[in-house]
Amino acid sequence: MVTRLALIKELASIVPENVVVVSSIGNNSAFWGELAEREANLFHATLGMCTPAAFGLAMALPRRKVIALDSDGNLILNLGVLGTIANENPTNLTILVMDNGNYLGSHKKEPGMPTATGGKMQLREVAKGCGIESAHRVQDVGAFREKIQMALKSDGPHFISAQIEAIDLDRPGRTKRVPDPRENKYQFAKYIERTEGVQILGGGLGNFG
Amino acid sequence: MKPEKAKLVVDGLKEAGVDFTAGVPDAQFIQVYKMLEADPDIRYVGTANEAEAVGVGFGAWFGGKKPALMLATSGLLVATYHLARINILHEVPLLVVIPYRGDIGDPRWMGLYKKTTEPGLNAMDIPYRVVSRSSEIVRTIKECNESARAWLRCIAVILNEEALW
Repeated sequence: MVTRLALIKELASIVPENVVVVSSIGNNSAFWGELAEREANLFHATLGMCTPAAFGLAMALPRRKVIALDSDGNLILNLGVLGTIANENPTNLTILVMDNGNYLGSHKKEPGMPTATGGKMQLREVAKGCGIESAHRVQDVGAFREKIQMALKSDGPHFISAQIEAIDLDRPGRTKRVPDPRENKYQFAKYIERTEGVQILGGGLGNFG
Repeated sequence: MKPEKAKLVVDGLKEAGVDFTAGVPDAQFIQVYKMLEADPDIRYVGTANEAEAVGVGFGAWFGGKKPALMLATSGLLVATYHLARINILHEVPLLVVIPYRGDIGDPRWMGLYKKTTEPGLNAMDIPYRVVSRSSEIVRTIKECNESARAWLRCIAVILNEEALW
């Protein structure tokens, strides 16, 4: 089975600079921040918020590709969002789930308590059942690359569940500091303001229209 | 809820510049949800639960939208973790509009929400105004949204029995 690190390295080599990536808390944000230092990153989406936040961004920015770099435990907390997404049909959204089948395994030497996907739940089938037609499961770097490239080139919404090792056996070095949520908010909002011509932040002078 | 009262809520959102809403339909506010869904100027996303709505609104704000959440008093409880997180940790502004079930004067057995709504907002450090007169709905929604966006804080508008029904 493949590791989270191998897939996130591959993702970093594929994803264009202008594609927005919303990453869930924990090692998805830690590894992505280390391997993909870029402006279009929104980090630290807590349990149940990663895919909904990416979906909200995709709705607000319909001409830009948006990726949710989510995980199994995080997604399952708000699983109903898959039905919402299927009905709203944001064609620019890709949901990428790093499915290690357990909670907190990324921080331990042994797997943590199992998530539902560590038992009988199959996320690809759940996504399909919710109405997301382009739903896939991958288990190696080659298939992962192929599905990501497909998602970047074609209309979605796309759902890609990547079955990864239960624990993060390999890790990138820590050479960069992932910005905290407030610092990241200002960085990311300014990037969107600059590249989309919208106003998000205020000036403190009551200058909103 | 009378349609003219629901229209005041939608008018207030428009005056405030709100162009994106998310939530879960609530019996006391159903006319508002129906008007929002039909309105070409405000995008309404019906979510599976209110915590999901917080995440969707959070993302929409980063995309340049001016979002509001339409939450029942029960739904506020469902949304609590995510609202607290974005308000206290991220400091991202969402306007939260709540029909006040359980305020004094509500004839239904809804006293639970008197115990949870305002104390819950206080615990999450979310400022709010309670509106008791329908004539104040539009202005209050507009003022609360202006402050939310300027302060980068969630702010709630709670509309009680007297204002709505």
